[in-house]
Amino acid sequence: MQVSKHPDNEMLVDYAAGALGPAICVSISSHLNFCYECRGKNSELSNLGGSFLETTTPAELSGGALNNVLAHLDQVEPSVAPRQPVLQEDEARLPELVKNLLPEHGVKWRFLTPALRISRLVVGEDRYELALHKIKAGGKAPDHGHNGMEITVVLQGSFSDGDGVYHEGDFLVRHPGDVHRPTASANGSCICLSASEAPIKLIGPIKRLLNPLFSITPQ
Amino acid sequence: MITGNRKSVNKVVMLADPTVDEWSDLLIRVGAERDKQAFTRLFQHYAPLLKGFLMKGSNIGHEQAEELAQETMIKVWRRADSFNRQKASASTWIYTVARNCRIDWIRREIRRQRDVHADDLYEPRDENPSQVSLVQMRNKRVVRESIELLPQEQKEVISKIYFEGRTHSEVSEELSLPLGTVKSRIRLALKRLNVQLEADAEEVEEVE
Repeated sequence: MQVSKHPDNEMLVDYAAGALGPAICVSISSHLNFCYECRGKNSELSNLGGSFLETTTPAELSGGALNNVLAHLDQVEPSVAPRQPVLQEDEARLPELVKNLLPEHGVKWRFLTPALRISRLVVGEDRYELALHKIKAGGKAPDHGHNGMEITVVLQGSFSDGDGVYHEGDFLVRHPGDVHRPTASANGSCICLSASEAPIKLIGPIKRLLNPLFSITPQ
Repeated sequence: MITGNRKSVNKVVMLADPTVDEWSDLLIRVGAERDKQAFTRLFQHYAPLLKGFLMKGSNIGHEQAEELAQETMIKVWRRADSFNRQKASASTWIYTVARNCRIDWIRREIRRQRDVHADDLYEPRDENPSQVSLVQMRNKRVVRESIELLPQEQKEVISKIYFEGRTHSEVSEELSLPLGTVKSRIRLALKRLNVQLEADAEEVEEVE
């Protein structure tokens, strides 16, 4: 099966138009960080936004608008120091955008299985859970099926499943009903960003016991 | 993933000459010299366009559009030093500032969420190589002429997406149209607006 490793045009249009929720938005931004081709498309679609702006019929502002804005210019913007989370050696190459979403103390990995760790990211989501997953070198994540859509972006390292091998920057969309078992490459751990819509289901008799650990928490 | 024609695309990027755009000149002056006169001219040109743009969506009223247009211009002043004319025209850059202000406004006013800002969710602007090509610049002129000429059904869906910030799926629900129909109308609209999403090697070769 040929798997696309890029967001489709529909998603890129929604992204450039500012229509997507935070989790998918961050997933696409992370992919753009790696993908020259999709950056070009995003640039085209943002240009279209610029053209829409240029060709809009202007609407007059209230009389005091300019003065009001000028009065704000010298006010100092409440500055937010860029976050500099404490990172482990194998997390240092995460995209800046993702680092900015991490808590000060760095990625706090939680145990899911001996080969798999999770760290949830807070982005003000009410539909998707956004999380980092780390599969240790050569490790296998459990077989799992999807009840909702799941987007995965490889941020570091690579992994494979029955359909192919995925490298840094690859953007994968899993649909409800898809089942797969990701395995990290033997030469290093693999960190992925994933946005999951509904609880994923582990498959197999004992794995069912683990299902509560995999419950989805949009936040 | 990075395709073989990257080199030739880069060449085109280097040839791009965005110096013809006076608004970009003004924006550079605002960023580099904190020039309030230059800012005032930008305001007089862009604030009414921003307000008009925001009011085109059915989800933002007259007063909110005014407020958002002002908020956008304040942010333009604060962020102007990150504007890079090699990457985008002034209009495109201001569009993205307004888009992010709109996202934050909707999250703040409607969903009562203020924890993460849109600027933190979009691709950082200064990390990546240039993307504006001559092809894109030429396309832009064509776009200006043809938005109003789109068939009504295409104009309707693309307006909902760009002016209201709705996804394809939301538009399909709202207009009770199959998702496939929304997608194909957008595809046709983009084609007519000369937005090229498929790599077209010949076009790149031609301008080299």
